[in-house]
Amino acid sequence: MKILKYKSARIIFLLTAIIIAGAACEKRLDIAPRQSIGSDAALLTESDVLATLIGSYDGIQSASAYGGDIMVLNELTGNAENIRFTGTFAGLNDAYNAAMASNNSFAASTWIASYNSINRVNNVLSALDKVTSSPDTKERVEGEALFLRASVYFELVRLFAKAPGDGDINTNPGVPMVLLPTSEISESDNVSRSTVKQVYDQVIADLIKAESLLPSSNSRYATQWTAAAMLSRIYLTLGDYPNARDAADRVISGSGKSLAADFNDLWFTYINNGGTTPGEYLFYVKITNQDGTNSLNTYFGRTIRSIPGTAGRSDAKIQNAHVNKYEVGDVRGEYFTISGGNRYTLKHLDRFGDVPIIRLAEMYLTRAEANQILGTSLGATPLADVNLIRDRAGLGALAAVTLDTIRKERELELAFEGHFLPEVKRLKKTASGLPWNSPLLIFPIPQRETDVNKNLVQNEGY
Amino acid sequence: MRKLLMTIASVLLFFTAAHAQSISVSGRVADESGNPIPSASIIARGSNNGVSSDAQGRFTISVSKGTVLVVSAVGYEDATVTVNDANVTIRLSAGARALTEVVVTGFGGTQIKKDVTGNIARVKGKDIEYLPTPTVDAALQGKAAGVFVNSQSGKLGQAVTVRIRGNSSISASSQPLYVVDGIPITTGDQSTYGGATNTLSDINPNDIESIEILKDASAGAIYGSRAANGVVLITTKRGKAGKTSVTVNLQSGFAESTKRVKMLNSEQYNELILEGAAYNDVQDGYDPADPDSWTTYVKDGILGYYSYDQWKDDPNKTYDWQDAVFQKGAYRQADLQIRGGTDRTKFFTSFQHLDQTGIIVGNNLVRTTGRLNIDQKASEWLDIGVSMSLARTYNRRLPDDNAFSNPLQAIALMPQTPFIDPTTGLDAGTPPGDPNIPLYYNPLLTVKYAKFAQEVFRTLGNAYAKAKLAPGLTLQTEFGLDYFSQNEEGYFQSQTIRNQTRATNGLGTNTGTFISNFNTNTFLNYAKVAGKHNINGTLGMQYQESTAKYNSTEGTDFPSNSYQKIASAATKSDGSSSQTDFRFLSYFLRGNYSFNDKYLFSASGRIDQSSRFGKNARSGFFPAVSGGWILTNENFLSDVKFLSFLKLRASYGIVGNAEIGNFPQLGLFSGDAGYAGTSGQRPSQLPNPDLQWETTKQFDVGVDFGFFNNRINGEIDYYEKKTDGLLLNVNVPATTGFTSITRNIGKLENKGFEFVLNTNNFTGQFKWTTNFNIARNIGKVNDIQGQIIEGGVSNMNRVAEGEAIGVFYTVEYAGVDPDNGDALFYKNVKGANDVIDRTTTNNYNEAQRIVAGDPNPDWIFGITNNFSYKGFDLSFMFSGVAGNQVNIYGMGRYSSANMLYEDNNTADQLARWQKPGDNTNIPQIRLYTINGSQASTRYIVDGSYVRLRTASIGYTFAPKILKTLRLEKLRIYGSAFNLLTFTDYPYWDPEVNADSFDSNIAKGNDFYTPPQPRTFLLGINVSF
Repeated sequence: MKILKYKSARIIFLLTAIIIAGAACEKRLDIAPRQSIGSDAALLTESDVLATLIGSYDGIQSASAYGGDIMVLNELTGNAENIRFTGTFAGLNDAYNAAMASNNSFAASTWIASYNSINRVNNVLSALDKVTSSPDTKERVEGEALFLRASVYFELVRLFAKAPGDGDINTNPGVPMVLLPTSEISESDNVSRSTVKQVYDQVIADLIKAESLLPSSNSRYATQWTAAAMLSRIYLTLGDYPNARDAADRVISGSGKSLAADFNDLWFTYINNGGTTPGEYLFYVKITNQDGTNSLNTYFGRTIRSIPGTAGRSDAKIQNAHVNKYEVGDVRGEYFTISGGNRYTLKHLDRFGDVPIIRLAEMYLTRAEANQILGTSLGATPLADVNLIRDRAGLGALAAVTLDTIRKERELELAFEGHFLPEVKRLKKTASGLPWNSPLLIFPIPQRETDVNKNLVQNEGY
Repeated sequence: MRKLLMTIASVLLFFTAAHAQSISVSGRVADESGNPIPSASIIARGSNNGVSSDAQGRFTISVSKGTVLVVSAVGYEDATVTVNDANVTIRLSAGARALTEVVVTGFGGTQIKKDVTGNIARVKGKDIEYLPTPTVDAALQGKAAGVFVNSQSGKLGQAVTVRIRGNSSISASSQPLYVVDGIPITTGDQSTYGGATNTLSDINPNDIESIEILKDASAGAIYGSRAANGVVLITTKRGKAGKTSVTVNLQSGFAESTKRVKMLNSEQYNELILEGAAYNDVQDGYDPADPDSWTTYVKDGILGYYSYDQWKDDPNKTYDWQDAVFQKGAYRQADLQIRGGTDRTKFFTSFQHLDQTGIIVGNNLVRTTGRLNIDQKASEWLDIGVSMSLARTYNRRLPDDNAFSNPLQAIALMPQTPFIDPTTGLDAGTPPGDPNIPLYYNPLLTVKYAKFAQEVFRTLGNAYAKAKLAPGLTLQTEFGLDYFSQNEEGYFQSQTIRNQTRATNGLGTNTGTFISNFNTNTFLNYAKVAGKHNINGTLGMQYQESTAKYNSTEGTDFPSNSYQKIASAATKSDGSSSQTDFRFLSYFLRGNYSFNDKYLFSASGRIDQSSRFGKNARSGFFPAVSGGWILTNENFLSDVKFLSFLKLRASYGIVGNAEIGNFPQLGLFSGDAGYAGTSGQRPSQLPNPDLQWETTKQFDVGVDFGFFNNRINGEIDYYEKKTDGLLLNVNVPATTGFTSITRNIGKLENKGFEFVLNTNNFTGQFKWTTNFNIARNIGKVNDIQGQIIEGGVSNMNRVAEGEAIGVFYTVEYAGVDPDNGDALFYKNVKGANDVIDRTTTNNYNEAQRIVAGDPNPDWIFGITNNFSYKGFDLSFMFSGVAGNQVNIYGMGRYSSANMLYEDNNTADQLARWQKPGDNTNIPQIRLYTINGSQASTRYIVDGSYVRLRTASIGYTFAPKILKTLRLEKLRIYGSAFNLLTFTDYPYWDPEVNADSFDSNIAKGNDFYTPPQPRTFLLGINVSF
């Protein structure tokens, strides 16, 4: 009997073990991630598309893109005239010295972040048919997406390709253009560089369409005025003064926006205004204490004891030579702080400050310059536009303006906002002793890209 | 057919003929000094008739007269005795144990070392006992051939690099699989601050009975897709029948840094920086007296400003910032172990408290562990048992190496900067003083005004039941749990604002990590000895389920620094929660067969399925075979008396590596793409439904030998590991919106040999044993489809075809042009006919990069010598590596950079070029103008070292004294850890790997990395 009891106990034990073993069936291996969803389930509804559009803004908000690095690189490169850069990030240091190598880390990160944003936008554009709640919504979504993509391509072609006017725009390599979302990788993803002309054509076509689709007000997102402002800047870059003037005028007359009364109102948006964006900002990236890094602040900023909330690496010190450019009494010429024996701009001290990309002031200055060149006075005379800007800067009105005074006004008004290198190239000036069309002032196609995509042609000099 | 019948008949006859005239023999098994040996096995040779000895070493067995009894016990040499009387006493000798040791092989399997056909290295718990390293992996350094251990830094509780037979992956983990008492435990970094932490910190090394390192495919295949990096089986101590023995060990001591780096003093610094300024003035045409001149800028803006203007009065006053961040570390540890039991119930329990203060200010580790292991003989056929360990590990962490708050970065601060701000009387840089002094953030402020503490509660538990189903057949089922619960709490007071820019009014963080890892194993073991045939086999399944949950909160705006919990934060600035899971379902089989103790054969296999693999590749099969031939049991070698043991063995098998993270195979969108308070999503990963494990095919051939009754014994192995289907994050054009996709492409190989030699040099009253091991591994990447994968400091580590993983790839430095002080570089441009241009240039961009070094050592070795004489014992262990390089560019570009910036420089920069004709390797000083401090071989240095890793001396009191004290054992000892290091390395410690850059590729980087501590301990060990 005892033996039997043992036997049955053993059998029970054996069965239990088998059940434990069997409970672990293959089905248990089918588990899914929790913070992510399958890409096949991600773009099925209108709200999916809207979420991806917000994701596109999140993309350009990257510190490596419009979060600031695009402006930082445009401002620092070759700018010994105005800045003494003492930072220790080798990639920035090399850009400042116009001595970049093809593996420049900032060139690579800006390229990567830009195309990452473009892919997000392309996902939005590929799923527009899911936006069915109203035609207005669909138009708005498409307009915002086209605007974002065009803006990023414009920044890429400005940084990584020869400027318009430098050689033949029809044959100079621009940047690779990808207009469809990526769902898998194949040989066709080794995209060649489109020509500079092709890139500008695409950018302009997208922006014209965006301007026509976008509403006139749209919370913190792109509006028809944002698109027009970007168009104006692009036309000016191309030397297309009538279109630059017209687009600027459309913004000034149509947007209903006006210049901030006090120059100081434009800055310290978080510290002073609790995050309210100045009305003068036409296109900007919002930074909050939760989200985003203002990299203009990172490199141009500094912790100033007397202004709580300031921060920064103190990397970009402003040269005496720059300050000497201002007239006595110019508010902007006083818009600096001396700390530790060095001078820093007050524009970017606010750690959570919004990153301005286009301000209304730029539109006045663009309209003035274009009117002056064309001998027209669409919207206002160049003198009136310039005096408007001067008045805000606490300066007396001029009696007459020349092209040079308009351009000087532009330089001083927009200093350290990412206009230095584009202006050098547009106005064919020199940068740190290099001519405007020096290959050293063009960013290298990131080495990681030329390594992985053999169809990419590297820029001259790298 | 007839032959077969005959064979069956003779086998049957053999079994029935076993019972002849039997007598009952009583015996006793004892060691050389007469102490009883419990649990010794006594087997009648040629039969399966066997018993084991009790706690007093006694046994009884019924055998026929003239039978030969084979007596064996773990840790002793086998002995044989022919039965003539009813009473026998058998003395076992403890010498030359290596070949008779029982080796754990996983899933209930054990084998006697001499029968093992795979490659398994065994480290006894005793060999790593009471070392001042809190983790078992660090303790393995130098102990096992082919096991490379690099402790990376002197920060407490930080991750350790372990590579078994080289690095066999580029993207997936290359760390071995750790299995504790049958549970594959959670490993890898779980920290959110500073460098990677070591989850093995929660295991008390003194609880360990043995560590088996499964190195070849034959040993590892039973762990299938998880064995390619080797498997480390950790077996904890279990109870023993007999008198309850209580052991107390107390040790205490101090630690200091192994080295300091010689930096410039103020006088030297002044000279160098003013020389640089003078150069700039000449270049820019300034009169040095000009207020706009560089000289003026340096004097006022740098030397004056950063010294609170004290420089003008006392220009040579030096503050040694390096000295300020090192401290004398402290080490205190108490261990209690109680072990005992009866024939039916056996237990082992332990308690440990460890309190360690690091050699860097602000670093502290406290661990408390407890363990209870119980084995119960529930009935004739059923054994049940539990193992349970609880641990609390508290670690006050240091920032990662690449942080201004890393204390060692204080070495970059100017020696003129006083520690104390004279205007406030507070540490330099403390608000309300000027926060922009010193030159960089003063890391001492983080030590003083911030705290980041990690607290882990870890439970490792395992319950098993083992049933004898039939003679020789057991079924074991076990259920294991590894529960890892971690809280990380940080508070950064407003004084740290320059470093923690968001700490304007304090910044608090709180992070929780909860990982539950369940594991069940169910397996049948069968063992049968039938005459000359010895068979055993294992068949079973394993299921593992791991769920990791994370959450975090962050708050800013605290009323004052007295409030440090987020409850008081006016702004809850961040918060998150997330989860990730993985599962494995596996079936395995193993069979061992030996014939006549001469011919050994083993085969094993495992089928693995995992949630990590693509839907087109869910299941993998991993087989292995091995064989061995014990030549010394052949007649033709029986006359060769000096040769006591000789075995040839060979193995071949396939194992995998599945440590690629969770869900790498899926195409994904992530919902973390909100903007300015509105939620958003983004495409985050490209799909790959074909994704699977990496496959390693390994061949191993070895010889085990013993001479002079095994007084000299050892092993020689040669292996080839070929890995293909490498899980690789393949770079894709970023124009796609992605930078990489995970694919199985690529091949690499590791070849090498290992040599182990153990000798009993003296065996009398004066005993001396030596254990030596050395290994050479040659790793080579064969095919990564032309990709270039980079990592490390300034991306100088590279994976390239034809080279070892992570070789340093940079421009070759050619010294200094004696005429003008320019740094020169070899062009190394490949011209026509592959002729390499060896001319030099001062234009860095004209020089081609070359393979300039390898962070992987050519040779790794360890040698342990143990001496004892009467009560005295002395032991020292050297370990070392040779043939590897270290990249010091991380600090070198700033601090060994001929005063490019204001950073303090190493004293060797004094030898800079000053005037035409100077012959030196240090270029001319040109402030802010780069001259030779670009990435180059100037910063690639030899990383070879030999280190006296452990040294100890002890005295064990004689039995006479113990008797009066009523003690079983009393030993007092002193020990030192990292006492001496022999190296040419210029910075702190060549056993280095900067945590900020660490990856499979990025090895051998120094980035202001804290050195290993040199620890001195005094201890006492009492048993009663």
